[in-house]
Formats: sequence, structure tokens, C-alpha cells
Amino acid sequence: MITLDPRTKLFLAIVANSVIISAPLVYSALMFAVPAILLLFEKKWKFVLAFFSLYLAAALGFEHLKTMDVGRVGTLAVSTMMLISHMMPIGIVLYYVMQTTKANEFMAGMSKMHIPNKVTIPLTVMIRFFPTVFDESHAISNAMKMRGIRLFSLQTLKNPFTILEYRLIPLLVSLTKIGDELSVAASTRGLVPETKRTCVVPIGFHVQDAVVFVYCIAVLTCFFITSKSKQSIIDIVSNLFS
Amino acid sequence: MSNVKTTGKKSSNTLVRDLVNVGIFAALYIVLGFISSSIGYIPAFIVVSTCSISLVTSIPVFLFFSKIDRPIPCCMLFCGIFGGAMLVMGQGILMFAISLAVGLVVGSCLKFIGKGFAGCYSANIVLSLMSSSMMLPLWTSTEEYLEYTRTMCDAGYVAKLKELSQSSWPLVAIYAFGILGAVVGGLVARRVMKKHFERIGLA
Repeated sequence: MITLDPRTKLFLAIVANSVIISAPLVYSALMFAVPAILLLFEKKWKFVLAFFSLYLAAALGFEHLKTMDVGRVGTLAVSTMMLISHMMPIGIVLYYVMQTTKANEFMAGMSKMHIPNKVTIPLTVMIRFFPTVFDESHAISNAMKMRGIRLFSLQTLKNPFTILEYRLIPLLVSLTKIGDELSVAASTRGLVPETKRTCVVPIGFHVQDAVVFVYCIAVLTCFFITSKSKQSIIDIVSNLFS
Repeated sequence: MSNVKTTGKKSSNTLVRDLVNVGIFAALYIVLGFISSSIGYIPAFIVVSTCSISLVTSIPVFLFFSKIDRPIPCCMLFCGIFGGAMLVMGQGILMFAISLAVGLVVGSCLKFIGKGFAGCYSANIVLSLMSSSMMLPLWTSTEEYLEYTRTMCDAGYVAKLKELSQSSWPLVAIYAFGILGAVVGGLVARRVMKKHFERIGLA
């Protein structure tokens, strides 16, 4: 198992997000590789394989169809492929960060970066809450299916506000209660923005952090060079060697 | 209870509760905003997508407003987190600056008008300007935005965006639809708050 420093993970997430969203497919694949390899070390090979297959199919489909005028229905399909090919790499990076970073490690990392607790606490809660939002939403969706309330059922098509009432409000109630419990637990443990926390987990940079940093900076540099010169990375490399 | 004397200083426990609420509702706002804005990937609905964002996010936003004790810092943090997320996802620094400014105005609305319906309603309308501003670079730096979109979307979608950027009326329509969504969403949220959250003591 390879353990990265929370600051390295944050850097990886920021670089991956900024590169993947606006860069060509090759950079997206390069950034996809890092969390995929790290997840393989976490023995999540089934997840990585499923993710990779779907990503590859969507990315190749999108690259092939994006320059064509495919009509209205085709645009919907291409948009879906675009969403999958651009959002899945971000998804896998965020999945890796959320799966492997504990709240106390993240807070300790942010504290070492001298970020004030008033910013760190909401960010920590937010990062830990994304999976909770999806889990709760999934559970509520299952419960509503048992009552025959689905997203595209006759009842919801007749009155779309029922979706708000049957899906969003239970989600809000549930999340608010979890939030209240969380703030009580935080207060009980003495979490106060004015004081500095201690952390039993050792936080520091190691060889693996340096490797990830160098890799990310290399990808970022290539991306900026190619976006400035309007050439692909393969053309630039072949020009260098010719 | 009115005879109880206090120092006037709010407890740090309520500050922690406020910060936790900011985190929870920021996560929810980003998720709901992202889901409801995906309608904008259909070219015909680009302009209308801001309406769906404001409409869907109005209820959680009203609940968020009712649960915070320090409106200005909490709203600035909330909007700052959203702006920061957009900055990381490739939007310019302008979006981050707009988010902070909107957060300040939203917080001021809650502080000076109060946390009643009028305050929450006006704050929600101001907040809708933040999500509507996501399309602003299409008019402020058209070529860069189209170049950015070209790497992500198909030719038909980019052509539609280019057509929209020729005139400033779509920009007005984007903001108008955002405000319309917040106006309708605010009324729905008021009903929902009375019907559900106030009854169970969550608001």
C-alpha cells in the first residue's frame, strides 16, 4: 500500500481537475493513470477495471464524434460521452482522495499549510459529505421506488414538484440531522476554530509524494506548452528529436 | 428568558455548528447545482439551465439561511467554496471574485433585512446571480471560452454557443431566467419550509 501526504493528494486533485476539464484526451488519460495505479495498490482492481473500460469507450466515442454535426439526438449522446470522458477521471481522483484521506489527516495537512480552521472545517465536512449525500440519496431513492415514486413515472411527470417533495426533502432532513450530530460530536471532541489541533498520525513528504509531484508538474508543463504552441505533444517531441 | 443577561458574544460552539452547516450545504449545493445544470448540455436549453439551478437549489438554500447564526462570514465561505470549486474546474478568477462578492451581498441581506421570509427571499435572488455567472466568460472572453468548450463539446454545441455570444440579449436572458427560478423557487421553498421543516423543528 502506498500512502500519500494529504497535501500531495490535494495537489493531485487540483492539477487533475484543472488539466482534465480543458485538456485533450491524452492529458486526461495521463492524469487518470495516477489514481488508477494508486487504487490498484489499495486492491481496488475491479473498480479500476470497470471504470477504465467505461472511460475508454466514452473517450474514444467522443473523440470520434465531436467534430461531426450529429443532429439534436446525436448531440445528447455526444454530450453524455463528453460528460463521462471528462468527469470520470475527475471522479476517480476524487474517489481516491475521499477513500484514502481521513478527516484528521486532512485537517492536519491543512494546518501545516497554515490554512485557518474557519476554512478547513467546512472543507473537511464538505469532502466527507459528498459520499454521504450520494449514499443517502440512493437509500431514499430505493425507499421511494417501493412506493412507486420514480424519476420518470406517470405521477412525477404529472406533477414534477413531487420529486422535490419525495426525494429532496427527505434528503435534506436526513443531512441536516447528520450535520447536527456531527457538530455536537465536533464540539464534544473540543474542535474549536481558535485552538490548534494535534494529530497522532505522522504527516510528512516521502519519496512517493515527490514522484507524484514531479509527474503532475511534468504533465502540467506539457499541457501549458502545447496549449501555447497549439501543437500536440507528439509533434513537439518529434521536433525536439529531429 | 428576556431577563437573561448575555455578554453579546456568540459561543464558539455555534461557530463550529455554522462551519459544519456551511460544509454540508456547500456539498449539497454543488451536487444539486451540477445535476440541475446538466440540462444545459442540450443546446436548446443553454439559456434556461440557470432557471433550473435556482429552482432546485432554493429549498436547501432557505434551510441553510435558517440554520446559520453568522450570516456574512458563513455566506462568504459558502460562496467562496463554490467559487473555489469552479476555479479548480477551469473557470477563471472572475467567477471566484463574483462568488465572494455575491456571498458578501447575500450575507448583508440576511444581516440587515433579517432571517424572515423577506431576507431569505432577497438573499436567494442575489445568490442566483452566482450560478448564472458561470456563463459570463462567454461574453467577457469569448474566444478563450469557445476554445475551452471546443475541447469538451461537439461542433454543434460550440456553434450554438458562438451564435449566442454574438448578441448580449442571451446574457440578459440567462440572468433573467436565473432570477425567475429564484423567485419561483423562493415561493416553493417558503411553502416547503412551513409544511415540513418548521413542523419538525429543523428550521
